[in-house]
Amino acid sequence: MSKIPSAAKHYDKKNWKDYAMSYVMILPAMIFFGLFCLYPLGNLFYLSFFRGNVRNPFKSFQGLQNYIDLFTMRPDFVPALYHTAYYTVVVLVLLIVLSVLCAVWLKKGRKIDHFAQSVIFPPHLVASISCAFVWSWMFSSESYGLFNTILNALGIKTVRWLQQTSTAMNCVIVMNVWKNIGYYSLIIMSALRSIPTEIYEAADLDSASPVKQFFKITLPLISPQLFFLLITITTGSFMVFDSIRVMTAGGPGDATQVICTWIYEYAFQNNNSLGLAAAGGIVLLVILVIITLLDFRGIEKKVHYQ
Amino acid sequence: MMKEMTFDRLITNDESKELSLKRRRKQFIRHLPGDILKLIVVILFVFPFYWMISTGFKTYVEAIQTPPTLWPHTFTLSNFQKISEMNIDLIMYSKNSVLITVTTIALQMVIMVPASYAFAKRDFPLKGVLFGVVLLAFMIPSQLTYISIYLMMSKAKLLQTLWPQIFPFGANAFGIFMLRQSFKQIPEELVESAHLDSASELQIMTRIMLPMSKSAMITIAMFSFISIWNNYFWPLVMTTSESVRPLTMAIQKLRDSGDAALQWNVLMAGNVILVVPVLLVYVFASKKILNAFAYNGLK
Amino acid sequence: MGEIVFNKVEKSFGTNKVIENLDLTIQDGKFTVLVGASGCGKTTLLRMIAGIGPATAGQVLLDGKDITDVAPGKRDVAMVFQNYAIYPTMTVRENIEFGLKNKKVPKQIRESRVVAVAQSVGLTEYLDRKPNTLSGGQRQRIALARAMVKQPRVFLMDEPLSNLDAKLRIQMRVELIRLHEQLKTTFVYVTHDQVEAMSMADDIVIMDKGKILQQGSPEQIYHDPNNAYIAQFIGSPAMNVLPMEGGYQYGFRPERVMLSHEKPKGTLLCRRGTVRVREMLGSETLYQIAFQDGTMVAVKMLQDTFQMNEDVILSVSKEHLFFFGQDGNRIRRDETTALYCRLLRTVGGTSDV
Repeated sequence: MSKIPSAAKHYDKKNWKDYAMSYVMILPAMIFFGLFCLYPLGNLFYLSFFRGNVRNPFKSFQGLQNYIDLFTMRPDFVPALYHTAYYTVVVLVLLIVLSVLCAVWLKKGRKIDHFAQSVIFPPHLVASISCAFVWSWMFSSESYGLFNTILNALGIKTVRWLQQTSTAMNCVIVMNVWKNIGYYSLIIMSALRSIPTEIYEAADLDSASPVKQFFKITLPLISPQLFFLLITITTGSFMVFDSIRVMTAGGPGDATQVICTWIYEYAFQNNNSLGLAAAGGIVLLVILVIITLLDFRGIEKKVHYQ
Repeated sequence: MMKEMTFDRLITNDESKELSLKRRRKQFIRHLPGDILKLIVVILFVFPFYWMISTGFKTYVEAIQTPPTLWPHTFTLSNFQKISEMNIDLIMYSKNSVLITVTTIALQMVIMVPASYAFAKRDFPLKGVLFGVVLLAFMIPSQLTYISIYLMMSKAKLLQTLWPQIFPFGANAFGIFMLRQSFKQIPEELVESAHLDSASELQIMTRIMLPMSKSAMITIAMFSFISIWNNYFWPLVMTTSESVRPLTMAIQKLRDSGDAALQWNVLMAGNVILVVPVLLVYVFASKKILNAFAYNGLK
Repeated sequence: MGEIVFNKVEKSFGTNKVIENLDLTIQDGKFTVLVGASGCGKTTLLRMIAGIGPATAGQVLLDGKDITDVAPGKRDVAMVFQNYAIYPTMTVRENIEFGLKNKKVPKQIRESRVVAVAQSVGLTEYLDRKPNTLSGGQRQRIALARAMVKQPRVFLMDEPLSNLDAKLRIQMRVELIRLHEQLKTTFVYVTHDQVEAMSMADDIVIMDKGKILQQGSPEQIYHDPNNAYIAQFIGSPAMNVLPMEGGYQYGFRPERVMLSHEKPKGTLLCRRGTVRVREMLGSETLYQIAFQDGTMVAVKMLQDTFQMNEDVILSVSKEHLFFFGQDGNRIRRDETTALYCRLLRTVGGTSDV
């Protein structure tokens, strides 16, 4: 087989046996993707024009009414969007800044660095509900809660961490940053380790300060990984569900209601609101697509690929 | 341009030894504040696990005592007994967790390997479009598909079985993407020489491709493992009967069916069962696991 | 100016002492080459001068000033790395002027210096390109330009030519010699390649296992090596070193051997052998000659007169023989005549006297 440029690719009918073999190889994967990804997405879109519930999803056709309702009749959807955005932005900034700092800090690779790195990683391996439960226990509003014990010992009054609007979301954020920083700093760390040390030695000889070395050499060289972090953290944060449901269940009031908990509630718990949940899902999809495109368009140019 | 030159004295042997000691001491002092901070960070990350485990072995009275005890004074296994008294059959839940995890990963492998091989090393019409489907599937989160899949499974009357927790993850888009990347790095000449030795496609995959992509396979398997074993959302929406629920649901139930006051010690004991096996494996293979997670398609 | 003095330096990585109690003076304005097998400590010495791998004990002095603990950027030295260590995200121009910028050199001076240096290494038209669009040879020049633009007192080079192909390497060798001729600053050059050392150096420092074996001009090292290791390290093909009775060794260079069919006249060491390998290289021919006891020696001749499997007589005159003691050290004194006679007695030779 000779290599022909893809633009002028010509597929010879005589090779049909070979092609058929290829299709057989990918067929199972394609069937699964079709059944459990493409069809469900299309069906979700279709559902969003109907009123119904899980027993009878297509009770009556609504047109665009569900979408209009989301933004006008339902007082809780827009706040859920807002909470999700708040959560995403804070988590994104904290995770990127902290994981880069952490990686740079532990880069030297002395024994204590390896130890520290191996210790901050395991939360990533553990179920988010377990992490959420432990942190809920530590954030317990009672006086025997761990953090409140510490506050009391310092002479500060008990805080109802997860039960008051001003702190609840931030507590969830702290837990999720704690859980994920090990993984993201690992990604950054392996990027840092792949930068030849001679570059830094050359910079030392060029009398560049550590700060200058960081901004002029390190950051540009890890930009592909930062880009990867940006995409995975934003899309992942928009999907936050487990920790919210365990730690606050969307409360107090609606203070920590995010899109995914909102969709879940409307899909399974409210009457005849399945279509609304579907419409919410489509809105979420649109937001995700927009964010991803923005990320790619805005930043792709600034990413340095070797 | 001539500068005024000053000459430094050459030092003697003894002075040199003293100097080297001084340097070492200086370095130690320079590292000290950072090292202390590192230890604090270490404690910050270990402590929640420690707190989970130690609470899991405390009595109820001790768990809610102020100030809390750092180490259980009365070390008790009664919390695990309490769990079984609450009619929560941990063995059944664990069995479901293991079954779901193992079956899903096995299914993923069977589907993933030929697909990745075809995308990496074979040529066929519409390859680009079909690979686009893989990428699309990679981007679409389960939070957007579960409603339709639930309706589908309920229509197929499968909600009383384990299948709704297995089939939807049968094709692992992330895995296909990574494995394709890894296959692509294997030189074309190897495949060609295998063809010359009249090897079948199956042989090429199992004898050449897979052994050379071990690290990618391990990474994919680990990502799959933690996402399936720890999955909470999917069984929450996809199951209607206790008999098919995994461990994460058992823990959920521990909290929901607790008495008026939340029994943190019992809840933590339940979490110990979910978390400690994973942590134990990590303690013994942390280096390998870290390497596996640090490996990603990004180069 | 740029005289470097190492005084009792030591370098250890953890508990592993790489260099211990080493003294060395690198003369001002000379092209000094540190040469040795990998792991001999030559790069470690270079990094001490640069300050990027400071000595764990002892002193490094530059023009009489103790610079052991001075930051790398404040030492007035420039370095060319083996992998060039070019900043991949900066353009060629930014690469070259980075050091000047950090030292707050005014913009005008900076620009004129960059232009001049780029001109002299032939990078003018590439100044605004990114390094990854350039070839290996061009990257090499960026690294060189980056060092030159700083106008340092000392140039440090760590195997700068090892990543180039053979032809380019020879060309760059010539350019480096001319550059040194032009700048007349101190060059310290590290290599494992004895040909590079011989061709470029004013002064060669041969190292092994963290110790200095010999320091001297290429002529001195070639004609008067201190021990068997150096004798075999310098020169290509390597010197033939053979055992003789009493644990002594004798050696002779392949290019100082006579091959003939008949025993030549004069006082000579003679041995019978057979041509086992013949490599005709054009300007010269290399032979491997096997003696009756099976030992093989290399011979380099300008004439190509012998064929495979031909029986020949190999002869070496006394002034081209080297003798080494049991410890491998060279024997230079009166003993040599006694050893020579002993050798003739046991191995064979002709004597017209």
